[in-house]
Amino acid sequence: MFKFASKPQSAALAFMVAGSVWFVVGAVYGFMSAIHLVAPEFLPHVGALVFGRERPVHVNTMLYGFVGPMLVGSGLYYLPALLRTRLWSEPLAWAAFFFWNLTVLSGPVGFAFGITQGREYNEYVWLADVSLVIAVVCLIVNSALTIANRQEDQIYVSIWYFMATFLWTASNYPLGNVMWHPATGAMPGLIDSIFLWFWGHNLPGLLITPLATGAAYFVIPRVARTPLNSHTLSLLGFWLLIALYSHIGGHHVLQSPIPNWLKTVSVVDSIAMVLPVSIVVINLWMTARNFGRRIWGDPAARLVMGGVVWYIVTCIQGPLQSLPFLQRVTHFNNWTVGHAHIAMLGFGGYIALGAMWHIVPLITGRELYSKKLVSLQFGLVTFGLTGFFLVLTAAGLVQGTAWHNGETVLRVLPQLVPFMASRAALGVFIFTASLVGLYNLLMSLRRGEEQEGAQLQRAEDAA
Amino acid sequence: MKMTPAVLIVGALMVFWASAFIIVGIPSLTMKETPSEIWRPLTPLEKAGHRLYVKNGCSYCHSLFIRVNDWDIGAERIAKAGDYVGVEPAILGSERTGPDLSQEGGEHSDDWNIAHFTNPRFTSPISLMPSWDFLTEGEITALTAYVQSQGGKHADLRQARQREWKKQAVEAYSGGFDRNIEWLHAQVPEVWRRMPNPYPATEAALQRGKRIYQQLCVNCHSPVGDGNGPAMPFLSPPPLNFTTLRRHVVENRYIGGIFYYQIMNGITGTAMPYFKKHLESEKIWDLANYLGVSFVGYTDANTEPRGIDASFEGAWENSYPPPGRERPELPVAPPAPVP
Repeated sequence: MFKFASKPQSAALAFMVAGSVWFVVGAVYGFMSAIHLVAPEFLPHVGALVFGRERPVHVNTMLYGFVGPMLVGSGLYYLPALLRTRLWSEPLAWAAFFFWNLTVLSGPVGFAFGITQGREYNEYVWLADVSLVIAVVCLIVNSALTIANRQEDQIYVSIWYFMATFLWTASNYPLGNVMWHPATGAMPGLIDSIFLWFWGHNLPGLLITPLATGAAYFVIPRVARTPLNSHTLSLLGFWLLIALYSHIGGHHVLQSPIPNWLKTVSVVDSIAMVLPVSIVVINLWMTARNFGRRIWGDPAARLVMGGVVWYIVTCIQGPLQSLPFLQRVTHFNNWTVGHAHIAMLGFGGYIALGAMWHIVPLITGRELYSKKLVSLQFGLVTFGLTGFFLVLTAAGLVQGTAWHNGETVLRVLPQLVPFMASRAALGVFIFTASLVGLYNLLMSLRRGEEQEGAQLQRAEDAA
Repeated sequence: MKMTPAVLIVGALMVFWASAFIIVGIPSLTMKETPSEIWRPLTPLEKAGHRLYVKNGCSYCHSLFIRVNDWDIGAERIAKAGDYVGVEPAILGSERTGPDLSQEGGEHSDDWNIAHFTNPRFTSPISLMPSWDFLTEGEITALTAYVQSQGGKHADLRQARQREWKKQAVEAYSGGFDRNIEWLHAQVPEVWRRMPNPYPATEAALQRGKRIYQQLCVNCHSPVGDGNGPAMPFLSPPPLNFTTLRRHVVENRYIGGIFYYQIMNGITGTAMPYFKKHLESEKIWDLANYLGVSFVGYTDANTEPRGIDASFEGAWENSYPPPGRERPELPVAPPAPVP
C-alpha cells in the first residue's frame, strides 16, 4: 500500500480521477435539482431528494469535488515538473487526497440528511472543515518543501499560484466558516453575513481562480511551445488578485443593512477586479498569439482557452453586477445562478478539464484513449453552458424587472416555467459530458497507447 | 522583481491578512448588536424551527431581508441590522425563488402554514417548493412557529389578530351553513355588499377567472367549488363551499362585491389569504364572475345599480339569473345601443 502511494505522480493522477468521478456525482445532483424546479413532485416524499438538500450537494461537489481536486491534481504534476525535482512526499500528497475527498464525501452523505451548517458555500460541518484544512496543510507542507528542494532556480508563475492558493485557503477557510464556533459554524447576528460571504466569494476567488490561472499558465505556453508573454504582467496579476479579491465578498449582501463603508469597499474593489483579470487574460492571449492553430488543434488546450474566454465573460458580468444600481435587477434571481455557472463550470471547470487531458498522457506515458471524446466533451459542455448562460440570464432579467416593477413572486413563478424546463433539458448535456469524460479517462488509464519516449521527451523540454 | 520562496510565502500571507483585517476584522470590532424596534428573542420552539430552516436549505429560495427597492413584497419595512440580533446563523439568502420571509409572520394563519408545509401546492397550486410531508408533525409545527415569528413584534401583533378572529370564525362555522354565511357576509362593509360585479361575465372574462382560480384557489375550494380540496383536512374552519351560496341568492343580496372584498382582503383567522398584492382589480372581478357563474349559477354582473358601461365593452346581456327564476330568452344578436 505504502509502496503504491510512493509511486511518482500517483497522487496527482488520483486527484484528477476523483475530480472526474465527482463531476458525474455533481452533475446528477444538478440535473435532479433542475428537474425539481420544474416538477416539484418528481420523486416525492423522499427527504434526501428535496431541492434545499440537493442544491448544497450539487454546489459543493462541483466546487470541492470536481473543479478543485482536478486542478490540485494537475498542480501536483506541474509543480515538480517545473521545478525539475520530485514531489517532496508522495504519501503526504495521498494523505491530502484522502482528507480532501473525505470532506467532499461528507456532502452527499451529510447534506442529504440535513447534516449541514446551511450557510451558502460554508455548508460543510465542523469535522469536514477540519478534514479539509488538514488536506490543505498537507499540500502547503508538500509544496513548500518541493520548492525548497528545487533544481530550477526560477519559480514559474504557475507555482506562485499553486503555493499561494493553499496558504490563502488555510487562512481563509477557518475564518469564513467560523470554525471557532463548532456547533453552528456561524457568528450570531448580522456580522455572520459578512463572514459567510468572505469565504463565499473567496472560494471561487482565492481557491479556484488561482488554481485555474496557474494551470492555464502551464498549459497554454506548453502547447503553443513558446515562452510566457510577460513575467511582469504575471507579477501584477498575482499581487492585484490577492490585494483586491479578498475585499469583495460584501457585494453579495450589498442591499442588506451592513455598514455603508463596507459596501463601498466591496463595490470599488469588485470593479477593480477587472485589472487582475484582464492582466491574466491579456498575458495568456499574447502568449497564444500566432499559435492559434496549435491551441485549437489540441483538444486539451482548446478547453483551457475556452475557460479563459469564459473568464472574460464572467469577470465582465461580476463587476457590472456589483454596481448597486444594476444589482437591483440582477440580484436575488437566476441571473446570479447563471453567473455562478459560468464562473465555476466555464472558467474553473473548462481549465480543470483541459489541464487534466493535457497532463494525464504526461503522467501515464500513454496517449489519451480518444481525442475525439475530449472534443465531444468540449462540445457538450459548451452547448450546455452557453444554454445555461442564456436561459438563466433571461430568467433572471424576467424576475428582476418584474419585481422591480411591483410584481409578486407568486405572479412571476408561472413565467419561469419555460426557462426552468430548458435549463433542465440543458442539464442533460452537462451530465452526458461528465460521463463521456469519466469513460475517456478510465479507458485512457487502462488501454491508452504507449507514447514513444522521444515524443515524450520533446514534450517535457518545452515546459 | 524576483519571486523567491520568501517573497511568495510571506508576501502572499501578509497581503491576505491585511485585506482580511479590513473586511472582517474591522466590522467585527465596530458593528454593534442593538436590537431593532421589532426584535424579540425566539422561543425554544421557534429556535427549533430555525434549525430546521437551516438544515433543509430553505435559504436557497427564501431571502430573509427586505431591500430598499423591494416593491415586490409591498415593502412596508426595510430590514435593519438590529433585526438579526442573536440569530445564529442569520442566513440572509441570495435568491428569491420563493417569497421573502423576513416579515412573513402572521400573514397567514397557522393551519394555512401547516397545510403549506405538508404540500405547498395545497395552498399555492403553482408553488415550486418541495413537499415537507416526510417531516414529523412536531417538526412542521416548529417550522410554522419559526415562520410565524418572522417580523418580531409586528408578527406577534398579526398573530394575535389571527387567533382572535379564528375563534369567531370557528364558532360561526359550527353554527351551520346559514349562520356561517351570515357571519362571513356581515364582516364585509355595507358598501361592498351592495356592489354588483361591474364587469360582464363574458366568455373571455370567465376564462380569465378560471385560470386564476386554478392557479390560486383550486386546492382549497376544489375544482367544483365545494370546499373539499386536498388542503381541506388541514384547515379549520374548512374552505367555503360556494354551492351553499345558492340559497342566499335572493333579490338585492348581491354577491359580486362580497366576493371581491374577501378575495382582496382575505379573511383573517381563516386560511383564506389576501390576494390584493397578486391580483389587479379586473382579475378579482373576473374571478368573482367565475365563482358566481360556475358554482352558484348566478352572477350579478350588469345588474342595478351600475355605472356607465366601460367604453371597451361590447353589449352584454346577463344570462345567469338568480336561482328559481326563468332564464330569459336571449335576443338573437342584440344590436349594440349606440347613443
